[in-house]
Amino acid sequence: MVTDKRNLAGVVYFLPVPVIMLSLLTGPSDTASIQNIIHYFYHYLKPEVHNESSEILTIGSILWDVRLPRILLAFMVGGALSVSGSGLQAVFRNPLVSPYVLGLSSGAAFGAAFALALGILPVQVSAFLFGLLAVLISYSAALKHQNISIVSLILSGVIVSGIFTALLTLVQFLSDPFRLQSIVHWTMGNFHHAGWNMLSSAILPMVAGIFILMLYRWRLNVIALGDDEARSSGIHPVREKIIILAAATLASSAAVSVAGIIGLYGLIIPHMVRMVFGPDHRRGMMMNFLIGGTFLLIIDDISRTVAGFEIPIGVITMLIGAPFFLFLLKKSNIGWEQ
Amino acid sequence: MIQAAQLTDVCFSYGKQEILVNVNASFDDSKFTVIIGKNGSGKSTLLRVIAGLLIPGNGLIHFFGKNLRDLSLSERAKTFGYLGQKHKAVFPFRVWQVVLTGRAGYVNYLPGKNDMEIAHKSLERMKILHLKDRNYSELSGGEQQLVMIARVLAQEPKILLLDEPSTHLDFSNQIRLMELLKSLTHENLAIVAVMHDPNLAFWFGDAFWFMRNKTLEQPGSDLKPWSADYLRTIYEQEFNTIPFEGKAMITPLMKKGLTQ
Repeated sequence: MVTDKRNLAGVVYFLPVPVIMLSLLTGPSDTASIQNIIHYFYHYLKPEVHNESSEILTIGSILWDVRLPRILLAFMVGGALSVSGSGLQAVFRNPLVSPYVLGLSSGAAFGAAFALALGILPVQVSAFLFGLLAVLISYSAALKHQNISIVSLILSGVIVSGIFTALLTLVQFLSDPFRLQSIVHWTMGNFHHAGWNMLSSAILPMVAGIFILMLYRWRLNVIALGDDEARSSGIHPVREKIIILAAATLASSAAVSVAGIIGLYGLIIPHMVRMVFGPDHRRGMMMNFLIGGTFLLIIDDISRTVAGFEIPIGVITMLIGAPFFLFLLKKSNIGWEQ
Repeated sequence: MIQAAQLTDVCFSYGKQEILVNVNASFDDSKFTVIIGKNGSGKSTLLRVIAGLLIPGNGLIHFFGKNLRDLSLSERAKTFGYLGQKHKAVFPFRVWQVVLTGRAGYVNYLPGKNDMEIAHKSLERMKILHLKDRNYSELSGGEQQLVMIARVLAQEPKILLLDEPSTHLDFSNQIRLMELLKSLTHENLAIVAVMHDPNLAFWFGDAFWFMRNKTLEQPGSDLKPWSADYLRTIYEQEFNTIPFEGKAMITPLMKKGLTQ
């Protein structure tokens, strides 16, 4: 049983390699057909048959300037949302929360759009601040007699999410009334505008947040047990929670600022990881990052190839995630109390 | 005798509602001390104050001569372990993973081999090694209680502060738990437990404190803790006592017509 899990974890470590390679070959472009890409690499490896035809150059630019940054971005965003989701679930001791459920995603999306429209604050800073604000509002609205019930936290998250989505739509209409598409970009999530610029703007906060959550992976086990239990075994629960909350907000708001709201993704992956590898965050955090990254990459591949147009990625995650969420709500015996 | 813990004029109130007023008491090392009192008399609050989970409005708490306020959280974890009344598991952790979290005060980021061994030993001490790989949330209430005590033992504390450790246990499990706790006091561990059942307390306890009028008290030298005269003042009710093992057992005054 234990070795089974270890073997499976080993598979997960190598999973990203073939998926990333396949993703490089995937896309709607006719020029970058698999045949032409093989030609491209052949030329690349044998410079003596130098043939810098325009087709070869186009393929190079599609591979390295369009597909590769998009692949890396999708992977990092997926990893960031899953790792953050897992951290948030431990902090709130609530298996039904995620950046999306807590309103964090909507807050960050509003913050990013707001900064872009006004140009006063840096986008990442604004996304982080509004993401954090959204979580804090959700939390304090659900708090009653120093106690927080699992369902009331979800409900307050729904309301906060609604408020920030409304504000986001308002900002978009005021700043650019003719571009409905950019609203869709924020509210339904996609990687359509992905590029090296976008990757470099968001990579630092994502990596920093993920790194801190990885560092705290065992302490999350302690926090997940409860405040009194953590405190009496030597860990300051409030201080610890602030650090974890800040790290999760940092990573997921940066993800939202480049990819928009990818609904329920940060909820599904931590659940899958728990089902397969158990609740111990020591292995769980790395699994969340790798599986979260790989799966979002696959979903993005589907979104840009399955139809003649690009399906917003948030549409797919929502359609997969919603039944899953309802199933969890029914199955778990957690409710209004506690 | 070394004082494991000493309370001096400890006061606590929730807002304007006074819960504890000038509590003075001391708990001996390597002894099983029991705190007994009526429902809502403030026993659990007192234990939370002693454990540093609530800040007293006034008064001092010393552990082995050291002021609680001067101890960091990890020093506290190494001095005493606290176990509250109920614990609800949210995630399906394995028993050994739960017990391992007791090592938090010793661990920087990741527990090591030594921590694993101590967790293992704690499970052995509570005689629940066979539950090691079970899912904590699927255990019975009694088994969960034993796991949580093992978790507190993994802290390697010198004092255990237990809030009604035997509630939710059936009679034989209550006795098994009491015997286990009693045996721990022979390994240089002091136990301070809030308990509901005075008989259970008298069978296994070494020292007794009673919660009355928002403070802790002990009977004067002319009265035994298990005497009907003293317990009347605590519970405001008449009792019968039956001599037992040098102490006594308490029974209700059986009113005629209720029995037969």
